[in-house]
Amino acid sequence: MTGRRRKAAALNPLLRDVAGLAAIVAVAVAGYWLFPDNLALLTRIIAMALLVVSLDLVTGYCGVATLGHAALFGAGAYAAGIGAVHFGVTDPVAMVAVGLVAGALAGLVAGVVMLRGRGLGQLVLSIAIVYLFHEAANKASRWTGGSDGLAGIAPDPLLGLFGFDLWGRTAYVFGVVLLVVVVALLRVLVRSPFGMLCRGIRQDPVRVAAMGASVDAALVRMFAISGAVAGVGGALNAVSTQVVGLDSLSFTTSAEALVMLVLGGAGSLYGGLVGALAFMWFEDFVSSVNPFHWLTVVGALLIAVVLFAPAGLYGTAARLLGRLGAWLGARLGARR
Amino acid sequence: MKTILRSAAAAMVLGGVLCGAAAAGTIKVGVIGPFSGPFALQGKNFKAGIDAYMALNGATVGDDDVEIVYRDVPQADPAQSRALAQELVVREGVQYLAGFYFTPDAMAVTPLLEQANVPLVVMNAATSAIVAQSPYVVRTSFTMWQTSAPMARVARERGVGKVVTVVSDYGPGVDSETAFATTFAAEGGEIVDSIRMPLSTTDFSPIMQRVRDSGADAVFAFLPSGPTTLGFVKSYDDNGLKAAGIRLLAPGDLTQESDLPALGDAALGMLTTYHYAVSHDSDVNRAFVAAARAAIGNPAELSFPAVGAYDGMHVIYRMIEATGGAQDAAKAVEAVKGMAWESPRGPVSIDPESRHITQNIYLREVARADDGTYYNKEIAVFENQGDPGLKAGR
Amino acid sequence: MQTVFSVAIDALAYGMVLFVISIGLSVTMGLMRVVNLAHGAFAMIGGYIASHATHAMGLGYGAAILLAVAGTVAIAVPVERLLIRRVYGAPELTQVLMTIGLTFCIIGIANYAFGPTLKTIPLPEALRGPVDLGFRSIAAHKLFAIACGAAAALALWLLVEKTAFGVRLRASVDNAAMAAALGVRTRRVYALSFAIAVGLAAFGGIVGAELLPIEPYYALRYMVTFLVVVSVGGAGSIPGALVACLLLGAVDTAGRYLAPEYGEFFFYLAVIAIVSIFPDGLLGRRRR
Repeated sequence: MTGRRRKAAALNPLLRDVAGLAAIVAVAVAGYWLFPDNLALLTRIIAMALLVVSLDLVTGYCGVATLGHAALFGAGAYAAGIGAVHFGVTDPVAMVAVGLVAGALAGLVAGVVMLRGRGLGQLVLSIAIVYLFHEAANKASRWTGGSDGLAGIAPDPLLGLFGFDLWGRTAYVFGVVLLVVVVALLRVLVRSPFGMLCRGIRQDPVRVAAMGASVDAALVRMFAISGAVAGVGGALNAVSTQVVGLDSLSFTTSAEALVMLVLGGAGSLYGGLVGALAFMWFEDFVSSVNPFHWLTVVGALLIAVVLFAPAGLYGTAARLLGRLGAWLGARLGARR
Repeated sequence: MKTILRSAAAAMVLGGVLCGAAAAGTIKVGVIGPFSGPFALQGKNFKAGIDAYMALNGATVGDDDVEIVYRDVPQADPAQSRALAQELVVREGVQYLAGFYFTPDAMAVTPLLEQANVPLVVMNAATSAIVAQSPYVVRTSFTMWQTSAPMARVARERGVGKVVTVVSDYGPGVDSETAFATTFAAEGGEIVDSIRMPLSTTDFSPIMQRVRDSGADAVFAFLPSGPTTLGFVKSYDDNGLKAAGIRLLAPGDLTQESDLPALGDAALGMLTTYHYAVSHDSDVNRAFVAAARAAIGNPAELSFPAVGAYDGMHVIYRMIEATGGAQDAAKAVEAVKGMAWESPRGPVSIDPESRHITQNIYLREVARADDGTYYNKEIAVFENQGDPGLKAGR
Repeated sequence: MQTVFSVAIDALAYGMVLFVISIGLSVTMGLMRVVNLAHGAFAMIGGYIASHATHAMGLGYGAAILLAVAGTVAIAVPVERLLIRRVYGAPELTQVLMTIGLTFCIIGIANYAFGPTLKTIPLPEALRGPVDLGFRSIAAHKLFAIACGAAAALALWLLVEKTAFGVRLRASVDNAAMAAALGVRTRRVYALSFAIAVGLAAFGGIVGAELLPIEPYYALRYMVTFLVVVSVGGAGSIPGALVACLLLGAVDTAGRYLAPEYGEFFFYLAVIAIVSIFPDGLLGRRRR
């Protein structure tokens, strides 16, 4: 490869990432202008997208199947909420920081516990974790409000200027900024040696262990990072909806996050975003028509994705685009 | 091509004009309730009560049309409830929020009432503290204190000395337990054991064993109306507690009319205290039941949430009249404070201080009618009950 | 002491119902290595058919059971052929997703066909009401559940240990490739075992309908419990499943007697403890 080609190859992923982030911002701006009355829904989508992206880290990049990831999301949400209601931590950025730390801790715990199991056992451990967190939150009703939920979260105006009002504009912009920052950082992470290691673990843990790397240590670290991201999503949810309910710690939320991830395509981060957006938008639309048929639709969609498009919406689209690009390149190259 | 574009544009303009014309003079009421999932029947009852009221009183108040916008929250989900309420206010421009079957859903919405300038009419959620969260909340259903405290008096009157309370471990359950225990102790009774069980419990045998071990004369129970109460009542029977003479006392949520067919003989003779029985003997109720049964389709499904919704609509209509169709939450709530009327359940009024409904509470017994169906027969009445829960500082 | 016996009987009844439903899942997991999260859905289908048969068609309890089991197997076999077979050998996540998707579909269809309310299966006169055991009364249907569980365990043991089919089944579980090479029709064994597993699930769903009420979310609500049983007992092990069911039934029932307000807390703590100490289950075999 010539020097010019090598530089181009190195620049390529960076360009792709910048393009990806720009795309996120573009979609966000479009959302702001096209749906000014729907910003609350869009902010909820962003919070869920953060959960799905955090799930992607663990499932898409490390190959660990988990049905308990909402525990990390809920931990962040409740931490931010409790901080606001019981400890007076009402600055939104501080709330997000609290959520991040709580999520990371929860991720650590979840990782350590889950690594004790294999196969089905691991899956069951993940389910047990989310149920335990759910029960704990239910019982600690003095702090969490129990089944009534934690209400009365009143975040301060962002930067002292922009209040969190009924129209949700501040919350939306806040969410978009958080999302862009998180995705940028994560793209750096997955391309780092650590990210490569995790991808290796997904493909062949035995080989990685034989190479001398500690599989468990890497996975626990990834769980902590994933927990931090999920915690940020939970805190965003607490700040924007100003209520934290037990459903943020539920098995159903975990299962839905997994569905969104698979729908969009695991292993690329952007797939998670696409999946979350598509799923939640579709849900809002179909639910108003008939909520129970929604479950059937999701089920059918899931089966279809598994059978026909295992790479998900984004993955399949990326693959098609890749092939299109290669075909175009070949034709143009031949022309020259 | 050009013709198509032009006609499309014309259609859009026309549509816009028409929409604009229709909107001027439509008052939207947002109703949030469980319209799907395990509690779909309760949401159906909401709708039946609302449809019945509008069928009997028309869909217009003054110059304005009343339009109901429904949103579904299948289970207690405060975040979704709040998000939908926000959507109703911002996107749909509702002037009134109503419904709310579950307490957490109602609680989560109260912070936005002031900013939105929208009153909230609670048609079911039964925890006392909800009305205290915002001055714009009015309730037309009942509270756990209101329906459970009279049962304590009934128990003492019938010579019950020791009671064990068994409730589902969530807001209304705890409220019900506190209400009964406080009143019972004040009347000289003894609570020998209090058991709180998870909402998801389906096997009640260990609980029944504990009831037996406690040596009580009666068990006071509360579970959310619907799927779990069936299992509880059957388990009470199956584990020999009925045969051993340990009475089952409960608020009427356990013998909801829609559950009685499935309970069958197992429920016969059960004593409950509640604010409404479909069998209530009055002309107003007969008119209501006829309209509501027509609205709900299957007459066996009619039950108490419908009357909460019916009276809720009554309150909303009076609010619309009072504000002349304008959006003024404070004026609307002020107008209905102290209002009294004859509801299908009996005489009722809105307490000016608490904005909660004052009503009669009835002692009922499950009996079988001549046509073989089961119903709640009213055998005694406690008149003009307020909500002791608020005074108890809850 | 009487209390201990009493709690033990309740635990036994609950454990037996779990066993009848979960044993099928354990067999399919051990045999076909498929994480089948839709197993609870088949139990639910059995319950629904029986409920419909007794209410709408007026059949007796026994006839309803037969019809329901046959009906569920008739539904499950094509589903296995068309959908589940596609994910044999696929990574675990794919199997989880496919079977969750299947479960969601079945829940939606059940809700559409039967509505969201609880369905009861009216018990015959003999099974209604309490039976006096001297130290306490117990619901007759619970005794019936215990009897059914014991019968199922015995029948399975006989099938697996004493019949030719059992030999072929055990061979396929231990080493499918070798068994096929030796002339065992593994496809047939899989198909038959799946049918038996689903039939048992349907049977358990009907017999346990008083303990685990039939409603559309049944498939998801108890799926976790069935999975826990299989992972604690070890996939593919019948004695393991029995021990796990009894153990978990005991933990759950005792927990609900002693500290009902903590409910499932102890149950899930116990699960985490057991799975952490025995990653392959109590009596499971180590998979290569």
